[in-house]
Amino acid sequence: MTQQTTGVHAGRKHSGALKTLGNYSFILIFLCIFLAYIWINYGATTLSGVMNILRHSTVVGIIAFGMGLVIITGGIDLSVGSMLSLIGGFSVEVFNRTNSPILTLLFALAFGLVLGLINGLLIGKIKMPAFIVTLATMMIYRSMAQYYLRVAVRKSIYNMNGQLSAYDAFYGFGQTKFVQIPVVGLVFAAVTVIMVFITTSTKYGKSVYAIGSNERAAQLAGINVPWTRSAVYMITGVLCGLAAFIWLAMNGSVDPATLGKSNEMYAIAAVVIGGVSMAGGKGKLLGIMFGAMSYTIIDKIIASLKMDALINDTIKGTILLIAVLIQILIPVIRGKVMKRAG
Amino acid sequence: MDLLQMTGISKSFFGVSVLDRVDLTVRKGEVHALLGENGAGKSTLMNILAGVLPRDAGNITLDERPMEHAAVKDAEAAGIAFVHQELNLFNDLTVYENIFLRKEIIGALGMLNKRAMIRHCRELFEKLAVDIDPSTMVSELETSKKQLLEIAKALFAEAKLFILDEPTTALNNSEIEHLFSIIRRLKADGKSFIFISHKMNEIFTIADRYTVLNGGRVVMAGDIADTTPREVTRHMVGSGYVEQGYFAERKLGKTSLELRGLCGEGFSSISLTAREGEVIGLTGLKGAGISELFQTIFGVSPITGGELEVFGKKAARQTIRSAMRAGVAMVAANRKENSVIPDMSLLENLYQSEHALSMGRQLIRARMELHNYQGWKNKLNIKADSPQELITSLSGGNQQKVILARWLNTKARVLLMDNPTQGIDVGAKAEIYRLIQELARSGITVLFNTLEIPEIQKVADRCVVFFHGSIQAELERGDITEEKVMLYATGAANMREVSV
Repeated sequence: MTQQTTGVHAGRKHSGALKTLGNYSFILIFLCIFLAYIWINYGATTLSGVMNILRHSTVVGIIAFGMGLVIITGGIDLSVGSMLSLIGGFSVEVFNRTNSPILTLLFALAFGLVLGLINGLLIGKIKMPAFIVTLATMMIYRSMAQYYLRVAVRKSIYNMNGQLSAYDAFYGFGQTKFVQIPVVGLVFAAVTVIMVFITTSTKYGKSVYAIGSNERAAQLAGINVPWTRSAVYMITGVLCGLAAFIWLAMNGSVDPATLGKSNEMYAIAAVVIGGVSMAGGKGKLLGIMFGAMSYTIIDKIIASLKMDALINDTIKGTILLIAVLIQILIPVIRGKVMKRAG
Repeated sequence: MDLLQMTGISKSFFGVSVLDRVDLTVRKGEVHALLGENGAGKSTLMNILAGVLPRDAGNITLDERPMEHAAVKDAEAAGIAFVHQELNLFNDLTVYENIFLRKEIIGALGMLNKRAMIRHCRELFEKLAVDIDPSTMVSELETSKKQLLEIAKALFAEAKLFILDEPTTALNNSEIEHLFSIIRRLKADGKSFIFISHKMNEIFTIADRYTVLNGGRVVMAGDIADTTPREVTRHMVGSGYVEQGYFAERKLGKTSLELRGLCGEGFSSISLTAREGEVIGLTGLKGAGISELFQTIFGVSPITGGELEVFGKKAARQTIRSAMRAGVAMVAANRKENSVIPDMSLLENLYQSEHALSMGRQLIRARMELHNYQGWKNKLNIKADSPQELITSLSGGNQQKVILARWLNTKARVLLMDNPTQGIDVGAKAEIYRLIQELARSGITVLFNTLEIPEIQKVADRCVVFFHGSIQAELERGDITEEKVMLYATGAANMREVSV
């Protein structure tokens, strides 16, 4: 009898640990990749190198938080890369005309809100499929950025005017550090804190999960489903605006043909590695930060191994498959452990 | 001549006897009505006949050939066609594709011979006097046409015996008439029908003979011509034993809910007044329109006519949130689809509606919520280890209590409960009855929809009986008997030979 109870107890403990591991598998993946990076760079690893990981994860990471929210509702936003390109390009024009980083930031956020609103209304209110709507706006937004550049600006890329008095301050913001930590990385950390807070501690955040889990029940519980759904796309738009602003501060120019290309895929991958279920209703946003950083480290590893950059997506794709495999296997193993114990 | 003979059929589930030596004989070319309340054993008997369930004992012969423990495929091959209440058609295929599914006519090179299939289909429909174009998509057909298509499909498979399980639930009067004319025509061709329905007027129109089941036994059988709706109803109901002890007199307050000639999808001209502290049981057959009425009061579906007043305030263009703000709550039917948010914890499920009402204050006050959770847990006797547990880890009864707490937590004053005891065990049911009484004592108006009349006898002040989307009768507590309610709910009270 006693033996039996301890057996059950041990089983519970085991499965509890496995459950935690299942929920936080993103940390496991991040650590593996990070240790590989340190091992490969053996001796050459510097604090500033590590901090650069944070810096270079910022743009995709911020976008991925919007994507995470969208995926929790059971949707998808393919237009994030194109929004980055369009908002970035137009923001360059706004800066060149106003010489004001603050106005540029406000414009980027507001323009992102508008672009997200278009996605949100079509998906949330008119109930068009998210995949189709954002596939269409993905094409539209990028094409607009490229067309405006060629026809109105008449240049090959959007370039911030270095002669302007505020240019140094703006560009400096993208390079500056606060006690070893890049400031843009701090922005990324702040977005992480805010997004985790929204999803865990606000009523809006809970309603986002509820819609993704059982839309009909959420509606009958009184949640305004069309509005809540529209809002996740608007938030994604605003985050794309913020990411575009940071891109400008870091790089000073936008090539609308390439900026943000495939970013929607990297964002989705970061969300999935972060442990958010593509079926909606499940997952923690905290994982997205680690998901995004994991991918940046892979870039660094490939660079330090002096491999051709074209191998990049092979490795990233493989990591994505492994991440999903782990997420699928852990509950299976857990079930077996519980069965044996029970 | 007997087409079907079922003798001494017995079946039990987990030691509970569901059918006890049941006999059923169906003659060639007759319509045989199978009657009984929910849970009397009709579905089990038909599932055994159709090969869905194995029988424990008894013999079945069809056309003088014994049927062993058959599978669905064998029963179909022997000529038995089960037309289910939920239709088994493929909505995204055309009419003829549905009929010829897995029996396609194939021409040269293995190509489908569409023209031949459409021609055969048209001939079949002409014979039946059914007006359906073989090339339309099934999704575009009305429910009545789908029902006819199911029969046509079975006919095409050369069925001899059709089991029609409540085929008229979704049909209007002229569609029912059409269905009956087709049944009569097929009957003349020597086809037989087992007709399951609760509606007395239909049974006395179409059936030749009948068998009444009660508690898994045959309590009455014979020719329809020799009986009356009243006699049949009495045998269906039996001598129902009603537990007492839940109900207590209460003082009723002012009017809380008033409907004046309210119309909407699925019901019309409903006039009803409810007062604070009152418990009203609404009942009717499936599809009688009570769920639809609840959804309209709760703002899910629009009001198409008449007036709705909640605490003296008129609600014209109601949304769910405006209904909630007015103090109305609805515990929806089908808990799994309509209430439970499966990926969320107990606490999150409990607080969902309160959050929806207080979106203006976005911050979640975790400690206050936990405190309130404890309060509801004790009050409703929710059995759970931790508020962070997933709601799906609870039993059905405890899930339902969480959903009830969700609504009480919004401080609702009018509670609509649609089939609140669906899929929960006896103990939890008793607790729900006790809670309904307790809530009423605190001044809440409770309207609940149920198919089980004893539930109404246990807790309601009044019983409102629905038939085909309108109110047939309102019975005061003292007048509620199962027999009387059944007479109204089945429409038998409308028939001439009955006087209540």
